[in-house]
Amino acid sequence: MSKIIAVHSYKGGTGKTLLSVNLAATFAKSGKKVCVFDLDFRAPSLFAILKTPNADYWLNDYLNNTCEIDKTLIDLSSRIPGNGKFYACLANPSTEAIRDMSSKDRKWEMRALGRLLALRETLLKDQKFDYLFFDTSPGLQYSSINAIVAADFVVVATTGDRSDVDGTKRMLAELYNLFEKKTGLVLNKVLDASATAKKTEMQNKIKADYQVPMLGMVPCFCEILRAEGNLIFVQDKPDHPFTKILAEMTKKIENDEVN
Amino acid sequence: MIRNDLSNKKPLNILEKIEESLEKLNDKIEIMIEIQKNGNGNNGNNQKTSLSLPDASLDVMTLLSMPDHLRKTAMVICRCSRATAEEIAEQTKRARAVESAYLNQLVIMGYLKKERKGRKAYFFIDRENQS
Repeated sequence: MSKIIAVHSYKGGTGKTLLSVNLAATFAKSGKKVCVFDLDFRAPSLFAILKTPNADYWLNDYLNNTCEIDKTLIDLSSRIPGNGKFYACLANPSTEAIRDMSSKDRKWEMRALGRLLALRETLLKDQKFDYLFFDTSPGLQYSSINAIVAADFVVVATTGDRSDVDGTKRMLAELYNLFEKKTGLVLNKVLDASATAKKTEMQNKIKADYQVPMLGMVPCFCEILRAEGNLIFVQDKPDHPFTKILAEMTKKIENDEVN
Repeated sequence: MIRNDLSNKKPLNILEKIEESLEKLNDKIEIMIEIQKNGNGNNGNNQKTSLSLPDASLDVMTLLSMPDHLRKTAMVICRCSRATAEEIAEQTKRARAVESAYLNQLVIMGYLKKERKGRKAYFFIDRENQS
């Protein structure tokens, strides 16, 4: 069944964009039709990571009701092996656009939520997309909460960092719960995660600590840091453990097995 | 009014008529309660606008600050652009009458609009026409 998935976190730098792009790419590799949306309007980054040519229309334009969604979609399917389809919908990175997006009022945000919800009809139903990934900005931003409300499932990225743990717990209890959203926690940048005993122990601790289902655990890989955000990892390194971990996560999402 | 229509009709039709009339009564009572609560405005020239808070927008921060029971209803109406109390009740798994009351409350608060078409009342968010 097709789904809208929001990738969110309390703090920045938890790996939301890396997860969004690579989860989407993993689905595309297995033959699905997917699209990644950059909803981080304060600090757009998807265009840099995907190294796309300059877009004529941005997600900003769709939300501003100045164009339809089709014009904003960039087809990057040729970069993914197989018959899957991989699209991106980018946020405008110009300073003027960032300033414009940060000065929107409640009415605009309400209409933007309507436009995001309409994607269920235009993209999932009419154009037969399997998965839409909303890469959000961290914390309690209007755009992020809009994305969460519009989504079927929220992937919450977190690290073991103390500054992140408390905020994430609060967000889980006070935000996702209130909206009755299904969530899956991804613990990213985990040190010493290779030993199986340690892994199980950590998983149990996380479950008890956060009281939400785990989607997966990603060890701290130097190769990812070395890549400097330059690649769709699952495509460039098919045998890397990170690629395998993501394949497990997509399977769980697909089969509704996050528990 | 109902009695005049009763001859030659099946019991089910009669019950439906009664239900419809009760619903209309319910709506009217709720409006009366609201008027009593807010004091019946001084101008009184446009009853409809005096009933709802103008420009109330159903944005996500508003959703967050709502009491749980209303948020549940509002979330469903956010997803489907237009729905009857019965359709909402199917998704929230609460009684239709309960949803009807919550939806009317949201209309009075200015977050939703209500439109009657034949026997059915549709509730919707007027996203585009809010200034």
